[in-house]
Amino acid sequence: MDHYDGYMGQVLFVDLTKRTHSLFPWTDKDRRRTLGGKVMAADILLHHIKPGMKAFDEDNWLVVTTGPLTGCGCPNSSRFNISTISPLTGILTSSNCGGDFGLWLKRAGYDAVIFSGRSETPVTVNILHDDVIFTDASGLWGKTTTETQEMLPKRTGKLVIGPAGEHKVLYACVFSGERTAGRGGVGAVFGDKNLKAVTAFGTSLPTVRNREKLQKINKKWVHTLKTHPLTGRQLPKLGTAGLIAPMQAHKILATKNFSAGRFDGFEKISGEELAENHLVSNAACTTCAIRCARMVKVDDKVVKGPELEILGLLGANILNDDIEKIIRWNWVLDELGMDSISAAGTVAFAMELAEKGVRDFGLHFGQTDNIEEMFRKIALREGDGDLLANGSRWLSEEFGGKDYAINAKGMELAAYTPRHAVGHGLGYATANRGGCHLNAGYMVVVEGLGLDVDSLTYHGKAALAIMFQNLMESVSAGGECLFTSYAVLPGFLIDKPNWPLTKIILAAFPYVGPVVNLLSHFTKAPMINIPLLPESYAIKYATGIPSTMATMLTWGAYGYNAERIANVILGQKADADTLPGRLTDEPQDPDDPRTRVPLDKMKPTYYRARGWKDGIPTWHRLRTLGIKIDKSVYDAAVKEAYR
Amino acid sequence: MAQIKVKLFGVFRVDTHVAETEIQAEKLKDVFGALNDKLGNVQMDSGLAFKDALVYINGEPCAKKGRKLNDGDELWLLSPASGG
Repeated sequence: MDHYDGYMGQVLFVDLTKRTHSLFPWTDKDRRRTLGGKVMAADILLHHIKPGMKAFDEDNWLVVTTGPLTGCGCPNSSRFNISTISPLTGILTSSNCGGDFGLWLKRAGYDAVIFSGRSETPVTVNILHDDVIFTDASGLWGKTTTETQEMLPKRTGKLVIGPAGEHKVLYACVFSGERTAGRGGVGAVFGDKNLKAVTAFGTSLPTVRNREKLQKINKKWVHTLKTHPLTGRQLPKLGTAGLIAPMQAHKILATKNFSAGRFDGFEKISGEELAENHLVSNAACTTCAIRCARMVKVDDKVVKGPELEILGLLGANILNDDIEKIIRWNWVLDELGMDSISAAGTVAFAMELAEKGVRDFGLHFGQTDNIEEMFRKIALREGDGDLLANGSRWLSEEFGGKDYAINAKGMELAAYTPRHAVGHGLGYATANRGGCHLNAGYMVVVEGLGLDVDSLTYHGKAALAIMFQNLMESVSAGGECLFTSYAVLPGFLIDKPNWPLTKIILAAFPYVGPVVNLLSHFTKAPMINIPLLPESYAIKYATGIPSTMATMLTWGAYGYNAERIANVILGQKADADTLPGRLTDEPQDPDDPRTRVPLDKMKPTYYRARGWKDGIPTWHRLRTLGIKIDKSVYDAAVKEAYR
Repeated sequence: MAQIKVKLFGVFRVDTHVAETEIQAEKLKDVFGALNDKLGNVQMDSGLAFKDALVYINGEPCAKKGRKLNDGDELWLLSPASGG
């Protein structure tokens, strides 16, 4: 019998082909095993996918999941997740969003919704607490993400795609309010299913196991977030854009398609410039205690401002120092419904193809007058836009240039170039969904942005990457914003970088690998909760599920391994954890051979600690984690991976 | 005494409203006091102090307080930052 609190206890299954709905079986046993969010979605998809299944197959599912903390009054807990087979990478993608749809979905009475099949005509699915109504979306087709949301009922949670999703741009995204599930092309899968929009409405809320203790934890948690140097000061004051200058300093600001790590014009595209001359106000996701979002003006409208990624990738990475153009392009990309990271990365690659005389798309480094037009062409798949809509990996397979097509597993890298942050490079290479800085474990948080651990040594980086990957996986599964995990880092290590004690601790960091490995393999060991990680307390008091640092790491490991073996079943080859040759073979500083990502030195340690062979979880590792799949399916997938 | 340029980034810049300034200092350790003098002992609402900054001299990191400065050196003072 189901008895955990924090959940609504129901998963909705929607068949778009037949326009029917039902309940998908999901029990407390499943909840305890996966927690929720992206780990839950990985488990559902792992048991649904078949070898060779593709993103645009009618049988590909879109799995929208929430976490147990959503709706329980915890700070920064409105995140939700969309997982599916990615058209960009061909493997699973999990795309996380800070809009309010997850909260509304729980109000409607569901922890998750699965969309299967394909509607014959454009459709909006309206999820109510006692019904699911399918309405014709022909009138919404062709509308931008803002226009679409304005045409839907007010006071509902909304998921919508823009023209890019309708035209199946491989990196189209999904919007909820002005926030986006950006990565991996989930919007294209919506478009393929003719699913233009989803709304959710209801008035339910989850019950909580111990309200008094949860409120006490939440109060302390908010205090921690508001007083921590990163979440209480830097992010509210400068947003993610505040990283441009530190990235310039650390030589990790992707410049000219990742050929360099510094950009002469960095001050003109910085968070300081944004804060001083363009910021209208801060904004926040529902329940957020940090308020990192920037609101700016475009054409006299107040709109969401650019994050660090777009400032870097449409600034330094294409040699553009005009921040007003970046602000405008950011808005255009949002309206069209495209992932700005992949769009920008693809444009930069196209520029380098032109510079090298391989293929001229009319895009050139430093030239900015035709970028907006190209984004519109991409969204509508017109002219060369139809080619760029397939991303940098596809372009490199068509025209060449794989060594400088800056993607991992087909997904374009974020704005941190990793040759001066080699652990971050390992994260990019091993991330399940591809070149994502967050799925990678966000190792730059210890390699210069936050803590100042030696960013060129490979010692200890494999173990730290695994720990952060697992931790962020479980934080996300709970429904929390990943930024809350930065508060795990003691404030004095960040605020007092010049203290002798800080220097001693940071110098020791690369040598903690064995301890971290121990925690990863014997997750029963840290059965105590540590005050630095309020999530584990909150999960316990919200749901009644026993939760400690150990269970957090185990949920993370479960999710990471479930996604990985799903990817292998979908056709991922052995040793697919690679980066473009530019990042692994060419030193960023020609006279310093350490300034490349030494994957050859880090991957064996990483795989050993993960319990993987050539990037594939061993059968023993899956059994240890309780990941149950058919042995014959596993054997066939592994055999295919080496073919 | 060397004539140097100091650029402020992050919370230092947002709180002081100063992007860059020029001061005279012989060694790195003199810079923080000189900045306070020049900017009028500015109180940053974040509680940060210049001496806690991550310092770059001519683009390279430097934490040695005794580092001698030369005419024309450019210093970057950064506050801690993360999260993107």
